[in-house]
Amino acid sequence: MGNRDQDFQNTFIRPVIRIGIITLLAAWVGNFLPCLYLYLRYGIVPPGGMILKIWVMVASVYGAFYIVEPISYYAILGLSGTYMSFLAGNISNLRLPCSAMAQEATGVEAGSQEAEVISTLGIAGSVIVNTIGVTLTAVIGAALLGFFPPFVKKAFAYILPAVFGAVFAQFAIKYPVVGLMAIPIPLVLLGVIKILPIWVVIPACVFGTIALARLYYDVKSKGGR
Amino acid sequence: MSPELLKIINSMGLWVVAFLMVSIVLIQAGLYVRQALKAAAAIQMPREKCLKGLRAGMITAVGPSLAIVIIMIGMMAVVGAPMTWMRLSIIGAAPTELTAATLGAKAVGVEFGSPQYDLYAFVASNWGMALNDFGWLFVTALFATRLEWVRKKVGGGDPAWLALLTSAAAIGAFAYLMSGNLLAGGPKAIGVVAGGLSMVGFLQLAKRFPGLKEYTLGLAMVVGMFIAAFFAR
Repeated sequence: MGNRDQDFQNTFIRPVIRIGIITLLAAWVGNFLPCLYLYLRYGIVPPGGMILKIWVMVASVYGAFYIVEPISYYAILGLSGTYMSFLAGNISNLRLPCSAMAQEATGVEAGSQEAEVISTLGIAGSVIVNTIGVTLTAVIGAALLGFFPPFVKKAFAYILPAVFGAVFAQFAIKYPVVGLMAIPIPLVLLGVIKILPIWVVIPACVFGTIALARLYYDVKSKGGR
Repeated sequence: MSPELLKIINSMGLWVVAFLMVSIVLIQAGLYVRQALKAAAAIQMPREKCLKGLRAGMITAVGPSLAIVIIMIGMMAVVGAPMTWMRLSIIGAAPTELTAATLGAKAVGVEFGSPQYDLYAFVASNWGMALNDFGWLFVTALFATRLEWVRKKVGGGDPAWLALLTSAAAIGAFAYLMSGNLLAGGPKAIGVVAGGLSMVGFLQLAKRFPGLKEYTLGLAMVVGMFIAAFFAR
């Protein structure tokens, strides 16, 4: 490990881990506070068997994602980005695009130390904006909807496809070959095979594309020599 | 929903509980900003560049955050303002939280949002959301450092490959995310294509006007969205 790497380890990676673990442990507690409060204040808590039943129900729908999502998105989010994203949520619609834009705007090289720092700032910026948004909405309430003309309200139903297409394009114009190789994977898995659960499709797309990119990289670097 | 329940789900106690959780999210983001600025100084990255990154993240977050605001109102009617505030500030986007809340109520035999939805069902919904969110919080707290270790192994100290690896992961992830909308056809597919093309257009434009760069994604998503909505009519 170089000196520079060692320094970065001390000034960034170690504190990032410490902050991440402490805040997530606090969130473990905070996450169950409403249940605890409702029990203390109103004396209502489902019996143990019922809690287990609820847990089995939610885990059977989302359980695989608890594991698959952090793994699949790690290479993009990095360490601090992972701690923030899996606390604050909204990964595909906010954290990933905001990290990507911060890196694009500052022109840092993907995967570098600079990128790690800038991605952290971009994601933190998105957490701040998004938290302000939901806080205002919670306080002001339904009256806020009056500010949006009906057409605009309807239009927001289509922001996600536009975000996904735009972020894909942002990366694909840098690596057009990888972009072209990546598109058929989900189209075949979702459009032709159809029976695979989503928690298989996500890692298949991410790691399938990484594998194809590695092939492409090896072929290209051989050709270059 | 009875007036008593309506009062409970919007009670001061739940606001306080939600405030504590939202604070954790903001404190974490604040600590990471501070640490990132310190690390930037250590690797001789100018402060200006850092602020640009922070700003780019904030600008890009505006559109998707407004979309969340619009979805949020519906959820507030059923689980109240404070719990909606808390759950949409942490892991689990609105559809996920609504599903978990529905499953919780279903476990105790009540339809989510129906007239039978009582305090017990509300408690069960809260357990549903808490148990579900805990899955991600648990895995991330325990295993994030292992993932960093794997990334270092696979990245293998070759910066060009690491850059491609990171971009390929993003390309694969967004190929997946957009393909569902492409296969859906109609305005959703139009949204994907319009978002992609306008992003390419704005990035080209930003080559001539560098100040535009940090707005490109925020602009592209809004343009794509309105084009899709235009065709949806």
